[in-house]
Amino acid sequence: MKRNIKILALTALSSLMITSCSEEFLQVDPSGLNVETNYYRNESEAFAGLVGVYDMVRKNSGGFENMITMFNAGSDDQFAGGGSSSDGAGIQSFSNYTINTNTVPRSFWSDYYRGIYRANLMLVKLPGVPMDETTKARFTAEAKVLRAYYYFNLVRMFKNVPLILEPLSPSQYYSVTQADPADVYAQIESDITSSIDNLPMTVNVDTDGGRLTQGAARAILGKVYLYQGKNSQAAAEFAQVNGTPGSVSQYGYSLVANYNDLWNFSNKFNSESVLEVSHSAQGSYWGIWGGNADEGNTVNIMVGPRSYVRLNSAFAPDLPSGWSFNVFTEDFFTFMQGDPRLNATVLNLNALKTAGHADYIGGYQDTGYFLNKFMPKQADVYSGPGDAVLNYRQNTYAIRLADTYLMEAEALGGTGTRAQALLDAVRSRVGLPSVPVSMTAIKNERRRELAGEGHRWFDLVRWGDAPTALASRGFVAGKHEVLPIPASELAGTQIVQNPNY
Amino acid sequence: MSMFFVFIVSAQAQKTVNGTVNSGGLPLPGANVAAKGASVETSTDIDGKFTLKVPENVTKLVVSFVGYTTKEVAITDGNMTIELSEESNALEEVVINVGYGTQKKSVVTGAISKVTAKDLENVPNGRVEQALQGRTAGVTIAMNAGQPGAGSTVRVRGITTLNDNNPLWVVDGVAVDPGALGALNQSDIESIEVLKDAASAAIYGAQSAAGVILVTTKKGKSGKLTVNYNGFEGVSSPERMLNLLNATQYGAIMNERYINGGGTGSVPYPDLGSLGKGTDWQNAVFSDSARRYLHEVSMSGGGEVSNYYFSFGTQSQEGIVMPEISNYNKKNIRLNSTHKVKDWLTIGQTIGYTHQKTIGIGNTNSEYGGPLASAINLDPITPIVETDPILANGITYSNPYVIRDNNGNPYGISGVVGQEMTNPIAYAKTRGGQYNWSDDFIGNVFAEVKLMKNLKLRSTLGAKLAYWGGQGFTPLFYLSPTVNNTTLNNLSRIENRAFNWNTENTLTYTKNIKDHNFTVLLGQGAYKNNEFFKVTSATHFGLSTNDYSEASFNDGTVTQDNKVGYAYDVPAVITTSLFGRVTYDYKEKYLFSGLIRRDGSSQFGPDNKYGTFPSVSLGWVPTKEEFWKENKIINTLKLRFSYGVTGNSRIPNFAYQAIIEGGRNYTFGNSGVVTSGSTPGRIANPELKWEETTQTNIGFDTKLLNDFTFTFDWYKKKTSGILLDPELPGYVGNEAPPFQNIGEMHNSGLEFELGYKKRINDFNLSVNANMATIKNEVDYLGPVPYYNGPGFQSMGPVTRTQVGQAYNSFYGYQTAGIFQNQEEINAYTNASGGLIQPNAVPGDFRWKDVNGDGTITADDKKFLGSPLPKMTFGFTINMDYKGFDMMIFAQGAAGNKIFQGLRRLDIGNANYSTEVLSRWNGEGTSNSYPRVSSSDNNGNFTNMSDFYLEDGDYLRFKVVQLGYTLPSTIINKIGMQKVRLYITAENLLTLTKYTGYDPEIGGDVFGIDRGYYPQARSFMFGANLQF
Repeated sequence: MKRNIKILALTALSSLMITSCSEEFLQVDPSGLNVETNYYRNESEAFAGLVGVYDMVRKNSGGFENMITMFNAGSDDQFAGGGSSSDGAGIQSFSNYTINTNTVPRSFWSDYYRGIYRANLMLVKLPGVPMDETTKARFTAEAKVLRAYYYFNLVRMFKNVPLILEPLSPSQYYSVTQADPADVYAQIESDITSSIDNLPMTVNVDTDGGRLTQGAARAILGKVYLYQGKNSQAAAEFAQVNGTPGSVSQYGYSLVANYNDLWNFSNKFNSESVLEVSHSAQGSYWGIWGGNADEGNTVNIMVGPRSYVRLNSAFAPDLPSGWSFNVFTEDFFTFMQGDPRLNATVLNLNALKTAGHADYIGGYQDTGYFLNKFMPKQADVYSGPGDAVLNYRQNTYAIRLADTYLMEAEALGGTGTRAQALLDAVRSRVGLPSVPVSMTAIKNERRRELAGEGHRWFDLVRWGDAPTALASRGFVAGKHEVLPIPASELAGTQIVQNPNY
Repeated sequence: MSMFFVFIVSAQAQKTVNGTVNSGGLPLPGANVAAKGASVETSTDIDGKFTLKVPENVTKLVVSFVGYTTKEVAITDGNMTIELSEESNALEEVVINVGYGTQKKSVVTGAISKVTAKDLENVPNGRVEQALQGRTAGVTIAMNAGQPGAGSTVRVRGITTLNDNNPLWVVDGVAVDPGALGALNQSDIESIEVLKDAASAAIYGAQSAAGVILVTTKKGKSGKLTVNYNGFEGVSSPERMLNLLNATQYGAIMNERYINGGGTGSVPYPDLGSLGKGTDWQNAVFSDSARRYLHEVSMSGGGEVSNYYFSFGTQSQEGIVMPEISNYNKKNIRLNSTHKVKDWLTIGQTIGYTHQKTIGIGNTNSEYGGPLASAINLDPITPIVETDPILANGITYSNPYVIRDNNGNPYGISGVVGQEMTNPIAYAKTRGGQYNWSDDFIGNVFAEVKLMKNLKLRSTLGAKLAYWGGQGFTPLFYLSPTVNNTTLNNLSRIENRAFNWNTENTLTYTKNIKDHNFTVLLGQGAYKNNEFFKVTSATHFGLSTNDYSEASFNDGTVTQDNKVGYAYDVPAVITTSLFGRVTYDYKEKYLFSGLIRRDGSSQFGPDNKYGTFPSVSLGWVPTKEEFWKENKIINTLKLRFSYGVTGNSRIPNFAYQAIIEGGRNYTFGNSGVVTSGSTPGRIANPELKWEETTQTNIGFDTKLLNDFTFTFDWYKKKTSGILLDPELPGYVGNEAPPFQNIGEMHNSGLEFELGYKKRINDFNLSVNANMATIKNEVDYLGPVPYYNGPGFQSMGPVTRTQVGQAYNSFYGYQTAGIFQNQEEINAYTNASGGLIQPNAVPGDFRWKDVNGDGTITADDKKFLGSPLPKMTFGFTINMDYKGFDMMIFAQGAAGNKIFQGLRRLDIGNANYSTEVLSRWNGEGTSNSYPRVSSSDNNGNFTNMSDFYLEDGDYLRFKVVQLGYTLPSTIINKIGMQKVRLYITAENLLTLTKYTGYDPEIGGDVFGIDRGYYPQARSFMFGANLQF
């Protein structure tokens, strides 16, 4: 018996040894997960990939490092603001023109390249996906136009950027060089022109609002031409987008009657919206803030006053507290006097505090003039799971019709009856009388109409007015027209820093 | 047949032997008395007495005790008196667990430190890491927080990798991750062995690179049943407070800030005289009378066949920061037993169950809120409770969810210090009903079969079953305009369960041929972590009650939409292993050990599925050579050399694959519903494999002058293939770069362990001291020039890991005094005559232009010291005289820097430490503390610089205990074996120059103080009873 047990024990041991050494035992299945090499098998998986390309559109107003607050801070109309002079090294240094390769937020570069990588990957994968060819052509067009839009933002921010049109292989990671900006623009133009016909004229905004249309693609293309000084081509694209000033265009665009309605959190995908950036309250929390899964609008919390208390509900609005970024300058406040858009644009807490109707803790560079277009009300505060401050759902306009009206007028050289009509339409919507069209009139109108929406800095640079307008901030001509390339992009690579940084 | 045989043996006629074991005329408690040729044994009691029933045919007893020469004596009738003499060579008798086997310390060739139950019995019961702190050279341990029940950061011989540096903990053969060590009860520990060198650790192969710590729990001893009770009651209080400004001082500094910042008109606090001392927020959060207790009972005993050890304990500890929301409770039970079923078959088991419940303050080392950070940063002007009816009824307190005291007065809300800082007393009221819990079962069963003479098969099956989770209630509350929840309250619960198992089978063959002694071990193991590991969480919003004690998931008023939940499974980690070891010695004079282990892991890429880890060690005992003349100076000496290869297989799940990840979402349309998007995550790397550490160890063990033992080790270990995912240039655009085996670093150090033991008549003295040095240097990081470490608020990273420097060294600007006047600023010029700091004003720091380019930029940052101690040390002094005993145990660290980040940079009105009173406020007033100003254009406070660094050296008297054992003449009358009463002081005194709460700060990067929850000073009164 003793002997038998021993033999049994030895047998058991050896069999265990054999089992446990097999390769299969070491195999752990990633259950519920897919591996890249066997994904993109059908339309829905292709669509999931396409949504991933759209994801980066959110950069306009999602995350602490977003286009709107950053470029507002660099303009002459607004300061960085925030809690202190060190609240966001990137935005602060852009606002006072001490920005350098170490302070420039890397994400303005890398997030757009992330979108470009995703578009490139889809453009490689899409031809092999078994699906309806018309839908596939639309997906392809969307991926291309999004890639073009991302490149446009890159080239107008950084100017000298690498032009990458396919996912890189490991051997290429460190050998990429910057392209001639003209080549980047040429690629952007060709990506859009080759795609427009495959995009729908319009989409059902209830279900598909935010997906690219022919109108949106043309507006981007017009803007791309305008930034290159190809004014006649720009005017031609904008004319298609705009149609007859003041009426409904072929894509269904028309100015929203009441300017204030543009800033209503619920008024999404309205008739004035050409290229809209979509946000929603999806339970975003600090752990994913600014990342892929964060769907909230961050501009909302950033522009709110710090530790706000409403003392008199008859006069003061019911606001949640925020972080006091992007306060307007005294100059801008003066400039806006008498304009019907003043109150929609500026929340004058300075006056409310002085009158004892409200109180707040003044942040850095506090002027009391807060950015009202994106100011959330207490009723806009999200109450579900996640962190309320990261779940504001206001959409923002990357391009709206008033913008394309004024860009067309600008492309027309600021003269002529059509330019006059475009300018008049923008003014009459807010009840302002006509003024004679001129570049100066257009510039002033853009400054008022689009204040705080992240356009002013790009406008000043495009017009060549930045060195003058931003002189007091420390703007150096020949340097600050473009951002420095982030240090992380220079280390070990072939990338060359922009001049004078 | 055999079973009958056992039966017959046990039924044999027996006789009873009585006696006393003495040494030097004094009774020797705890000595082992065994019948020669029969398997019965017992231990002597407190008076050295024993009673043993032995079979009639037994004629001799074998009496042994650690540190004494084993003696064989013939059994005589009546009361025997046996005298044991102290071993001349105390090294020999200590048995070391070397992993899958034991060795006498005298023949061990690796670097292994051992801590025994005796070393731990007088240390107040806490976590095992704390029990190990300061005990052994080369193990750096720092608590992660003073929160009761908090774990510690443990590093064996420095930093091994840029990734997970936790050593492998093996409890009775079951690997336990560091987070679950709280489940272990200190009093149940028989011994802890730290396998420090690679040659020793390599028997654990791909899991052993960061060192291996083996914990063995107590087993029963044959003989009479002994019942032990140990318990104490005590109170805890903080050892020290920060010196913060009182209200008057605060007002003055704020006024000065305002004026220096260019403020005009009235200063914020025009009437300083009215401010008085104001609120002492620290006083409000710290408790001087946090209660702490422990009660535990253990039983041990057994007979010829079975023996067992059983214990039960309960302990409770309140934290010193707001005890109502900071406390810890633990209950543990253990049963270990072994059964000699047959002559050739022994079976046994160990199992421990532990329940823990922790209530935490939230952020224990964070500048973002929590009561400690708030106490440090809140202005001293805001009252704890607003009693002024005009203010209390004002708009500040108008929100219906403002927290109020029992009289209905609101807790003060600061009007000047906002952000996450809130009234800590009010904060505590919102934390009710928050707790974490865990239930852990850890155990194994084993069978040992004697296959033939000298050949033993041992099979073990080990398992760990863990349940843990937490529950929290977030009421509707209004702590400040920034921190509030005024929409929906919620009740949330998270539950996890996980099961790990392993099986190991070893064959051990021992053979002595004349003076040649061999042991050959062959083994096999299979390990599966996360056989299941399931996480489930649910949150209900909008409950009908705002009182946590009434909040329930059964609340019927919660709508379906307000019930949110998620669940996920964590993938398994599988390892299979084959290993073998040969140990050989000739006359215990020439020593050899060689081993090899081959591990396959599910975490490795398909191109590198198996790793092999060999090692060899050699020893020579010259004092056993014939040419060595016996002398009184060097009694024994053993020289050791070892070299080995170990691995680290802790690679993230599926790291070698490109997994499609979701969450790349976008919102289309008006509905507010997101559309799911996905992209590939990390780039694949099929070659991914373990990190490899090689280590050379040279050392010796010696006994000197009869009373001293001394151990020395020198080691150098080098890790290569450190897993890194160097960030690719942003233009690549991938979600995450591939993991690759890239980095290299090395550590070297010296370790000393000294023991001294002396008996002078009735006075016994023993001293153990240890000291270790560590030098860490990063050798290679691939294409990336450096990695940034943790950041501090808007300051950005405060440490950096770079080639040629120690892991995560502090990195920042260097100050060179303060500009006393404009002339000094004008004189600080570069080669071309331009001002180096054109924007500076008097009172600002002068930054060193390290690179000499004439301007101050980020390139002027330099390495400013390491947070990792260069040296750690500890000592224990034990004394006893007649019934009195005393223990002093101290430990410390030196050579490190601490980043003192207690004040929030982005809250201009945050309170200051009183150091600010010696700030620069006029020419000649200070050359080290800059001016205060609301606009800090020079970055005096916002730049990471040496201004924020302090020396972290400390020596802490961890345990001081005084005990008295009642004479046996008295206690025998009441049927007791032992009655010992004691008082203990834990963390009695810490000698340090550091100005924060506590210089011992754990964490992945040591020494970053963000308002660290300090360790408590406790005084306890207790008793050990033996029945």
